Amino acid sequence: MNENKFMTMDPNTGPMEAAIKPLPFKDPNFIHSGIGGAAAGKKNRTWKNLKQILASERALPWQLNDPSYFNIEAPPSFKPAKKYSDISGLPANYTDPQSKLRFSSIEEFAYIRMLPSDVVTGYLALRKATSIVP
Amino acid sequence: AAAGLVFQFRDARWLPDPVLGPSPAVRTPQPVPLVIDNGSFQARAGWACSDPEVPGEPLLRFRSLAARSRGARGGAGTETQVGNDLGSPEPLRWLLRSPFDRNVPVQLELQELLFDHIFQRLGVSSQGCVDHPIVLTEAVCNPLYSRQMMSELLFECYQVPKVSYGVDSMYSFHHNTRQDWPCNSLIVSSGYQCTHVLPVLEGRLDAKNCKRINLGGCQAAVYLQRLLQLKYPGHFAAITLSRMEEILHEHSYIAEDYIEELQKWRSPEYYESNVHKMQLPFSSKLLGTTLTSEEKQERRQQQLRRLQELNARRREEKLQLDQERLDRLLYVQELLEDGQMDQFHKGLVELNMDSAEELQSYIHKLSLAIEQTKQKILQAEVSIEVDVVDSKPETLDLDPLGSEQSLEDVESIHEFEPLFAEEQPDVEKPVTTVEPVFNLAEYHQLFLGTERIRVPEILFQPSLIGEEQAGIAETMQYVLDRYPKEQQALLVQNVFLTGGNTMYPGLKARIQKELLEMRPFQSSFQVHLASNPILDAWYGARDWALEYVNHEEGWITRKDYEEKGGEYLKEHCASNVFVPIRLPKQAPRTTETLAPSKVLAASIGNPCDLA
Repeated sequence: MNENKFMTMDPNTGPMEAAIKPLPFKDPNFIHSGIGGAAAGKKNRTWKNLKQILASERALPWQLNDPSYFNIEAPPSFKPAKKYSDISGLPANYTDPQSKLRFSSIEEFAYIRMLPSDVVTGYLALRKATSIVP
Repeated sequence: AAAGLVFQFRDARWLPDPVLGPSPAVRTPQPVPLVIDNGSFQARAGWACSDPEVPGEPLLRFRSLAARSRGARGGAGTETQVGNDLGSPEPLRWLLRSPFDRNVPVQLELQELLFDHIFQRLGVSSQGCVDHPIVLTEAVCNPLYSRQMMSELLFECYQVPKVSYGVDSMYSFHHNTRQDWPCNSLIVSSGYQCTHVLPVLEGRLDAKNCKRINLGGCQAAVYLQRLLQLKYPGHFAAITLSRMEEILHEHSYIAEDYIEELQKWRSPEYYESNVHKMQLPFSSKLLGTTLTSEEKQERRQQQLRRLQELNARRREEKLQLDQERLDRLLYVQELLEDGQMDQFHKGLVELNMDSAEELQSYIHKLSLAIEQTKQKILQAEVSIEVDVVDSKPETLDLDPLGSEQSLEDVESIHEFEPLFAEEQPDVEKPVTTVEPVFNLAEYHQLFLGTERIRVPEILFQPSLIGEEQAGIAETMQYVLDRYPKEQQALLVQNVFLTGGNTMYPGLKARIQKELLEMRPFQSSFQVHLASNPILDAWYGARDWALEYVNHEEGWITRKDYEEKGGEYLKEHCASNVFVPIRLPKQAPRTTETLAPSKVLAASIGNPCDLA
């Protein structure tokens, strides 16, 4: 039979559970039901996101060769990036000085010059080449 | 026009998961392990039971998403939908939440919802707890904090008897090799959020030499979506992530030699015969718009009218202000002409100007601006429809409600400006003349040319999307270089590809080509693809569970959890490496604390003291 999850704290059953800032588990009497009331009635607690978790993990006493989530990150590339046209993806030899978009043929250039500015910004943002606006 | 290859989007809806009634074999003679591949894309769950009545495959497969639509205020009546119950992700796209941040669960409430869904639909019937041992996948080198929270959820909330954590690619690897002798391999595992290069020595993960590239199917889908939205701004809303996933799964491939393949696409004949045209659904009623309901169009027109009125109002106000200012300037200038020098200079000071020339240039500029504004007003008046004039009195914003509305409008101006430019000519053109060559179906097609190879290529060249990390090939080389030559040779004898994002046609050939380039001349290597790159992780976890259910190795019991903390990990052949650092038991936010709160993250070695 399925019963609802209880919200009350029951210190007699098991250890005092640790409610980390975000954790609301106050139901040691978990009896499974799909549609529980556990979601309701708790304060708005924010969970740590991955960045915050990693920041505090870094502070732990790791040894030099210990594997950890942050030190298995792949290194940046050593090879120079190849340039491709923003429009067609073909290898691009040319860059439009006005919009900084890359293109590979005259037709593409004409197309670029007709683009509205939001599309131009969109293409630049796609390869993280947006200029730093003061 | 060539017939070309036109494809329809399936836009499939998800079927809700039924509540299953498992055979009694899952509970007798003892509760069998419940195997969950907890992925950032999809969760797969099922039983690890050798009884033939119990299926040996995942009974549940659903997207790791939940949507909480808030009912009444105060949280009462929140309706939560998980996974396949959502039906389709698109209408709720902005409400969808995932417990994952990249490939690590961080929002454990949402994880709880996913578990609730799994346990309920699988038909877990034990009272007060989930009686089955749980086999769960975790990220490579999972942060201790994340494991701590996960263990807490499982042991405290669901009271499970024991838990085993493993790495999905390792389970898949063992499922595909399944020999008793120790094996070496270089696993390349590409999932939704990341791609890992994992060296395996003697059947165990050599974790310190693993590398992770933060790119996977998710980034590919977003990249494709943006490319198409920029190419087809008129179909912005129809270019959904679900459709992008369809394109990636069925219409994309990886080029064996990227530059060579691109050159092929240059030729118009090749393009014509290989372009995939994705047909968007459309209705022939409305010409020039992608909207299919007239109501939406009505509302659009209304909003456009409101915007036009707003602009007109702003221009008039500006005109008035400018005019007044001009009058003031002209008055001061007249003072000069009349020869009243003292008054003139006083006037200049009031206007914050230094000389007559400055005054003159200001007057000049202001007059030009006024002229321009007048012109714009005239143009706008000409193009405003008659309806707008009629509704004008309603929009006088003398009340705060009206001003709020205008604030919204100001914001929506930016949203509509690109559309505005599009819409206006449509409004002016007579709708009755349909050009004979205009093909409505073609207008609603997305042409996939180089996009078919461009998007999966980000795995090899992350610089395509501006990422600094190295691609798969370079990372493989980097990992191999950390080993002596003999071990390198061993590792490349078994390059193993697994994970949903490795299913692009042509990946194996590409990896082989890259290996050929990076390995010594005439040395050998072998590349293998998992038999089922998506589900083999689950099958491997099930294999492990069946074999080790009664062993101690690899299982974290409740006692272990209580004594050694949630971050504890029992290693086994498919697990991460455990680094024995104690985390402080996190203090509850509420005032009710039985355990003293430990705030410093550096406090290690404290036994877990319990009330």
